[in-house]
Amino acid sequence: MDFLGLISPLFVLLAIGGTLVGIIFGAIPGMTATMAVAICLPLTYSLGLENGLALLLGLYVGGISGGLVPAILLGIPGTPSSITTCFDGYPMAQRGEGEKALRIGIFASLVGGLISLAALYFFAPALADFAIRFSYVEKFLIILFALTVMAALSSNMLLGIFSGFLGIFVSLIGVYDVTDGGNGHFRLIPPGTDYWLEGGFSLLPVLIALFGLTAILEEAEKGMPKGMSLKQIEVGAHSRFSFSVFKGQVLNLIRSSGIGTFVGILPGVGGSAASILSYTAAKTTSKHPERFGKGEPAGVIASEAGNNGLTGGALVPLLSLGIPGDSTTALLIGAFALQGIQVGPLFIGNNGDTWNAMIVAMIIANLAMFVMMYFAIRWFAMVVAVPKHILYPVILMMCVIGAYTINYGIMFDVWTLLIFGVFGWLATKLRLEVAPFIIGFILGPSAEIYFVKSLESFGDLTIFFTKSWIAVILWVLIIGSVALSIVMARNNRATAAAAG
Amino acid sequence: MGEWTRVEVDFATSHLIFPTLIGIVLLILGAAILITQQREVLGSGAMWRETLSKMDKPRFFGGLGLTILYFSLMVPVGDFWPNTGMGFLLCSIPFVALTGILFMHERTLRSMVPVLIIALAGPLLVWWLFSDIFYLTLP
Repeated sequence: MDFLGLISPLFVLLAIGGTLVGIIFGAIPGMTATMAVAICLPLTYSLGLENGLALLLGLYVGGISGGLVPAILLGIPGTPSSITTCFDGYPMAQRGEGEKALRIGIFASLVGGLISLAALYFFAPALADFAIRFSYVEKFLIILFALTVMAALSSNMLLGIFSGFLGIFVSLIGVYDVTDGGNGHFRLIPPGTDYWLEGGFSLLPVLIALFGLTAILEEAEKGMPKGMSLKQIEVGAHSRFSFSVFKGQVLNLIRSSGIGTFVGILPGVGGSAASILSYTAAKTTSKHPERFGKGEPAGVIASEAGNNGLTGGALVPLLSLGIPGDSTTALLIGAFALQGIQVGPLFIGNNGDTWNAMIVAMIIANLAMFVMMYFAIRWFAMVVAVPKHILYPVILMMCVIGAYTINYGIMFDVWTLLIFGVFGWLATKLRLEVAPFIIGFILGPSAEIYFVKSLESFGDLTIFFTKSWIAVILWVLIIGSVALSIVMARNNRATAAAAG
Repeated sequence: MGEWTRVEVDFATSHLIFPTLIGIVLLILGAAILITQQREVLGSGAMWRETLSKMDKPRFFGGLGLTILYFSLMVPVGDFWPNTGMGFLLCSIPFVALTGILFMHERTLRSMVPVLIIALAGPLLVWWLFSDIFYLTLP
């Protein structure tokens, strides 16, 4: 119980404060939990690991939860993971049940968050214990599996895989690091840029760019769409909420939370997949599927329990394998890196106190999210009307601080922000997938070490198939995920053709 | 499998193995994309024309231009007062103000007041917080 010494009043305050700021970010359309974590990362320098994680986990939980506010009140998902909340939440708001829908969503979010937290607590250490036995061969195959799963769930499998490999390729720019067993030689550096690109592009400026600057460029391209005025927002303050609405919905709550957690555990798969799968499952098993999309509370429950179920699930691969479960947890790798800690199978065993402090921070964040949103929902509803022309310049300024301070004051990191901000905007135009790119970028250097060292040790390509039964299972999973995505793509094409 | 699956890694050139492999995979995937999505690739010119025609050019390119100017000026301005973060502070105030005004829709004096207050207070607060409280290096 040594970790209790780490739970200071500051720790609690940061978890609660992070949740509050996260809810505000989630509630503003176009701003996401990932953006909130990205711009607050530099704060964790001086806070220390546990306090820094309390802040970031609060931002994560709050950011995912806050997305339901504009989804219900405006019919615009505050975050991608709230997309299915719009389907039934917005019709409820239109018929004057906005506050009721919000409270249903808030309670479902709490249940989803806590169930996934339980899964994290019990599952991550077990997976880490198992993963300790992995050699370089299995570690390489896990990264390959992560990339194929992401690609399989991309809107276009080929472009998804291409994006993932492009991320790996960009991550290899610079020196083949001697500390990782490399030979210290440079590669892929354009002539005249070796001074800046010796160490390659830094991870955090790239992440901040893709989730901060890119989003702002996209909004600027659309002319900074005006938000709603306070007068236009219908909260439906007189709609009565009662917990009796959850009668008959326990199975839906648990199933949706479970789906969200499972999707979170799959590396690199985002919250939108969690809420869409939960919503689809709720609709197909409902006695009244025809009510879905017209203001059915069960739809809001499924969507919100699903997307908050992701929060704990996404931390499972991060803390047990070192592979981020989604884009926000990818940023948490940065927080660990800032404190000189590497996440992977040994993390939980070697950092027991930090692990327990993270669980406590997640519990505090979930409870704080529920209390704040349940009792102050009318105040949070006002956040959706905050004008973007005030917010975005300040966010850009915060992005600069984040990028500049990451490596203790290197201006090239600020330019990296611009390079990858524009790249992110171009990538969306070219239908490249940002999530696989990022996961590829994060895991690329590790994938190289695992691959090359496997070949150096065994001298035979067949080792990737014959090393162990785990390798065989991983190949089955890799081939299975590719095959599944091909079947899904064919079905989608057939459906589209049938529809005309 | 025999001889052809054997690989001998030369440590001196080992830094090129993985980038070469990933490069080849990217070329194969790129070719597959070109073949399977010919129609989209051939129609990309139209897509860019449509993007440019629908784009709010003043806000997009104006925002981009101000950002480039902001990044370019921070270090030269900061060099006048080294290690104080003044480059960040003095460049952020006009950047936040100008970008805010560029992004806003109705530019009346009254609506500009909150933007100007934020432009002054925001960078000042952030500069004080990061340089005085957290002791972080700013340009």
